Amino acid sequence: MNGEFIAFLILSFTAILGGILMLNLKKVVHMLLSVVLTFVSLAGIYVLLSAEFVAVVQILIYSGAVTIILAFGIMLTKHTARDERTSNRLRAALVGVGVLVFFFTVYGAIDNLFFGPGAEGLHVENTQQIGERIFAHYVIPFELVSIVLLVALMGAIVLARKEGEENK
Amino acid sequence: MDIQTLLSFEWGMMAPEFTILIVGILLSLLDLFGKDTWKKSLPWLAVGGVGVAIIFLLFQYGHGDISILGNTYVFDSFAFYFKLILLIATLLILLMVISRTVQQEVRDRGEYLYLLLAALLGGMMVASGGDLISLFVGLELLSLSSYIMVGLRKRDVRSSEGAMKYLINGSIATAFTLFGMSYVFGLTGSTKLVDIAREMSGSLGSGEPVAIIGFIIMFVGLAFKISTVPFHMWTPDVYEGAVTPVSAFLSVVSKSAGFIIIVRIFWGIFGNATFGGSDTLFATMIDFIAVLAFLTMFIGNLVALRQRNMKRLLAYSSIGHAGYILIPLVSLTPVSLENIWFYLLAYAFMTIGAFMVIYILEQQKQSEDISIFTGLYRESPALAIIMTIFLASLAGIPGTAGFIGKFNIFVGAVAADPAQYILAGTMAVMTVVSYIYYFNIMVQMYIRKPQLEGTTKIARLQSVPLILCVAGTIGLGVFPFIALNFFH
Repeated sequence: MNGEFIAFLILSFTAILGGILMLNLKKVVHMLLSVVLTFVSLAGIYVLLSAEFVAVVQILIYSGAVTIILAFGIMLTKHTARDERTSNRLRAALVGVGVLVFFFTVYGAIDNLFFGPGAEGLHVENTQQIGERIFAHYVIPFELVSIVLLVALMGAIVLARKEGEENK
Repeated sequence: MDIQTLLSFEWGMMAPEFTILIVGILLSLLDLFGKDTWKKSLPWLAVGGVGVAIIFLLFQYGHGDISILGNTYVFDSFAFYFKLILLIATLLILLMVISRTVQQEVRDRGEYLYLLLAALLGGMMVASGGDLISLFVGLELLSLSSYIMVGLRKRDVRSSEGAMKYLINGSIATAFTLFGMSYVFGLTGSTKLVDIAREMSGSLGSGEPVAIIGFIIMFVGLAFKISTVPFHMWTPDVYEGAVTPVSAFLSVVSKSAGFIIIVRIFWGIFGNATFGGSDTLFATMIDFIAVLAFLTMFIGNLVALRQRNMKRLLAYSSIGHAGYILIPLVSLTPVSLENIWFYLLAYAFMTIGAFMVIYILEQQKQSEDISIFTGLYRESPALAIIMTIFLASLAGIPGTAGFIGKFNIFVGAVAADPAQYILAGTMAVMTVVSYIYYFNIMVQMYIRKPQLEGTTKIARLQSVPLILCVAGTIGLGVFPFIALNFFH
């Protein structure tokens, strides 16, 4: 058991913990904080996989931008809202069984999985390689993503604009 | 990669996509900065754009296979034929949008147009994607635009409800698809479909179970898009909430794109993957898809019997049709792809036509209930006869495109090895069940007396999409070999 493995165990544990807390906490602000825990732990896992660029982007975009937008969303709406849920034992039991079945299926599938030797030299100029891939090889999907962004922006405006304002 | 390599690709093959993109951006700019007097002609610009794209596409008929930038864009005969369906269907839907007589429904007409074009662009990229990343981004572009279009009818609670349900269901589906793709990527180390197929055609060894998990999860995610049972729950609410042309778009273009990506991924990747030494992985998973097809035909048609809202009825009938189209996917014969293509084309004409008739009546009577058809034959014989043609085609009566499509699928299912007798039988029984609710509408039209005296007129603009859809439905029904010869 080397240090990398211990770090992976801790990080994946906190990532899963954040997800479970998000589902079970009652106050929205607490839910938000538990999501941040998941995001930061994932960034740590990316660092372990020598994907520093992705890790930094994860912190910047998810822990930073997405969290702040969510915080604003909570602030501008009912921020004292509490999650009132009725407990349905049957549903909880069914979901639990489903999760267990899925877990054992996947565990059985990957138990004997053999990938061969791990990749070498992942850390060598990886940011430059990502850039070259995105802006040369994957330029068509990349440009298409910008259309996706445009559509999302327009959609946000169209849906949020009040009726009647366009008659000015 | 230097500039010479970049320029060496045949970018001209992307002309249809570029046309749609440019027209879409032009429309949004004109809508923003243009004078109000121009804005009335914006829909015609959209129609013109799609028309030009169709012409560009037709010039590519018979062109050899092309791949741009490591298969992130591919042109092959598959992409050509299915893009044609997407373009024709969108053209008909744009004509439907133009024909609108009641103006209050959706105020933001401009947005509506470029969202339609953006969704079409996404669908076309799905047809031309040779890489999981392009396929996924195209599908997301299509889905995101659809979510917004469903929510455009802001004053209607049902529209907001539908948009919300669609967004949540769609996001879950996307997450599933992506999760399944990650398994496939992890197993093969590539996102390029050709490379994945090559990796998988060797012995998967200990990776077989993982490949199966990836297959199932990815299929479940994409099954949301084509709304197969049990992933169909969103469909009736969304179709009911959306404006009728958008319902038609979801029912035809969005569903076709779902089938396109399924065929592309599952036949492309898993059709070559060997499993257990002898069969392909796809062949071993046929039972899984067959069960879905069975459930979809069964539940879609049975629940449709109980519907009174016309858009919900068509939603359930479209679920049933998705079940029929799944049959050639599992009964593998050399003509399977042809059958899927023909059925989707026929389905486009008859569904858009039926939605168009509902759209006309809905605008005049302010209702979507089945009672809008009551006594239609006395009010407007022409409209009643046109609707009868579409219903006959949806039900699969000889002489219409729907019959040829169903007949081909049936023959394919029986002729396949192994023959799918259960599916073919279910299809036949469910077709008979579907007669009940389609003929119920005909009873309303011909036998019942109208509630109010008066006539229903068809405006000139409204007749254009109607005539085109009737021509398509009858033409493909009487001369199916024209389309089938074109396909070869």
